[in-house]
Amino acid sequence: MQSSLPQAKWQLPRIDRTDRWIGGAASGIARELGVQPLVIRVAFAALTLVVGWGLVLYVLAWAALTVLSPEQISPYSPTPKGATAVHRHVGIAVVVLGLILLLAQLAPSSITSFTWPIGFILAGALIAWSRSDADSDGISIVVRIVAGLSVALGGILVFALSSVSITEVVVGLVFGLAVIAGVTVIAAPSVVQMARSLDGERMDRIRIDERNRISAHLHDSVLQTLSLIQRNAEDPVRTGQLARQQERELRNWLYGPTTTEPDGIHLGPALEKAASEVEEMHGVQINVVAVGDTGAAVHGDISRLIAATREAMTNAAVHSGESQIDVFVERGAHAIDIFVRDTGEGFDVDEISADRRGVAESIIGRMDRAGGLATIHSSPGNGTEIELHLPITPTPPSVGAERTSPITSEPSP
Amino acid sequence: MTRLVLVDDHALVRAGVRAELENDFSIVGEAGDVPEAIDVIAREKPDVVVCDVHLPSGTAANVIAGCVERGVTTVFLALSVSDAAEDVIEVIRSGARGYITKATDGAELVDAVRRVSTGDAVFSPRLAGFVLDAFSTELTAPTADPELDQLTAREQEVMRLLARGYAYKEIARRLTISIKTVESHASAVLRKLQLSNRNELTRWAADRRIL
Repeated sequence: MQSSLPQAKWQLPRIDRTDRWIGGAASGIARELGVQPLVIRVAFAALTLVVGWGLVLYVLAWAALTVLSPEQISPYSPTPKGATAVHRHVGIAVVVLGLILLLAQLAPSSITSFTWPIGFILAGALIAWSRSDADSDGISIVVRIVAGLSVALGGILVFALSSVSITEVVVGLVFGLAVIAGVTVIAAPSVVQMARSLDGERMDRIRIDERNRISAHLHDSVLQTLSLIQRNAEDPVRTGQLARQQERELRNWLYGPTTTEPDGIHLGPALEKAASEVEEMHGVQINVVAVGDTGAAVHGDISRLIAATREAMTNAAVHSGESQIDVFVERGAHAIDIFVRDTGEGFDVDEISADRRGVAESIIGRMDRAGGLATIHSSPGNGTEIELHLPITPTPPSVGAERTSPITSEPSP
Repeated sequence: MTRLVLVDDHALVRAGVRAELENDFSIVGEAGDVPEAIDVIAREKPDVVVCDVHLPSGTAANVIAGCVERGVTTVFLALSVSDAAEDVIEVIRSGARGYITKATDGAELVDAVRRVSTGDAVFSPRLAGFVLDAFSTELTAPTADPELDQLTAREQEVMRLLARGYAYKEIARRLTISIKTVESHASAVLRKLQLSNRNELTRWAADRRIL
């Protein structure tokens, strides 16, 4: 259903190169019709028996249809596009008629007077049993059954009026069943084998895709970084920075949340990202330690908290004169606490000049507006620690109550 | 002078670590895999072994177990590129006194070796964070020994400060206790981590993918 093509519109089928037995025409048509490719393949094969028409049609289809571009290929979904019940019923009738004609072609003698009634009964049964989509096409199931029954009754009526003995019918049925059973016994092993090998191929393709995905990612990230590191081998600061940034990215890719949930920002990854950006910009090392379930989405808005933390990191990077900054994040059940700490110069908190907008506005003001609290601990010579506290609504139980943070927040020392 | 043995499968890494440490300690042996390491340690009986976590024929935990089997008592400091939870927990539980990553700079490495040699536990901020997570009180695990499976309020406080990047002496000043007391809290936490009966600790940590 993930098709990029409009669902409800008929389109010219496109050849599906990825799923083909011969040229891919059958699977392309099947994709457009919304049936299993096998059905179309069997239809082509059957038509081939009728003076080779199937082969001709197949070659024509293959030559005329355009190839489906790879990005349009979506998982197979058996939804008939734009087909209504009427389409389907006409289709069934045509198929039944076709089968009878085929039989007439192959074995004219088998068309006896009982073929028609049986055909009618079969068609009636198919109409009655075909999938009921009453609410989608407006034909109620009752109408369907009545229609099916009347077709079948018509058949029986014709049957009764014709002068065919019961024995003949039974013999015909038994004969037909025997043929079907024989074909099944003969064909089953090879069909099963075919299905298996197709499955195997599909698995291989999935594996190859996954491999390609991973190598593409490694190429874009790790290899690029390694070559950058080689070029910057003379500059230890830059080298270390590149390596850390790459490590962080790779870690996140390997262990980070696989799905991007729309219901909130993920605290841990968001802070890691902010930290690596500040690292890159100011050439410092930021060590982020997270405790509690920081990978899970937070219920509520934490963008201000992230922004304030980022500002605190930048502040430490610019003003402390220290090359290493520690960030500790603790997600409790009722609050998030973040500590951004450096062991640098420090300053007198009471003497922050009014023009230091960074601290006043970007950190304290921001936390205030977010409904939280920012506290700054610093004194000249003893480093700086900025403490951010934001109460959060506990995660709803459905999101996994046992996965919320282990540590209840306590008043900071 | 404190006698050291270095265990790492990469000769280059050994050379680097040796260069950082040889001014302050005497390095009496090197090894590149598990059996070799056990032999060297049994022969030299060093004070401290600086051991890489992943070796060609096993892990640091195997080395520690092998030494215990041979009746050698020494102190292990695990050194690894990875600070993934599974690695940390396995090595610490098998008896290492500390765990640091290869990103640690020279001065810190020297300090860490010195501290484990005096019987102290070495926690990096990340390891402290991990311990906090592992001993979370909200985690309802069937505990055989509740005393071991919980951190006291003070221990928790010490761990939180460690996770925030505080050095031992800063913690001591902040909590107005002596450095010795901080060290004994850290050692108690390490002991609990090693002896704790939470069987699922490792699995849980792995599930959570704590970094």
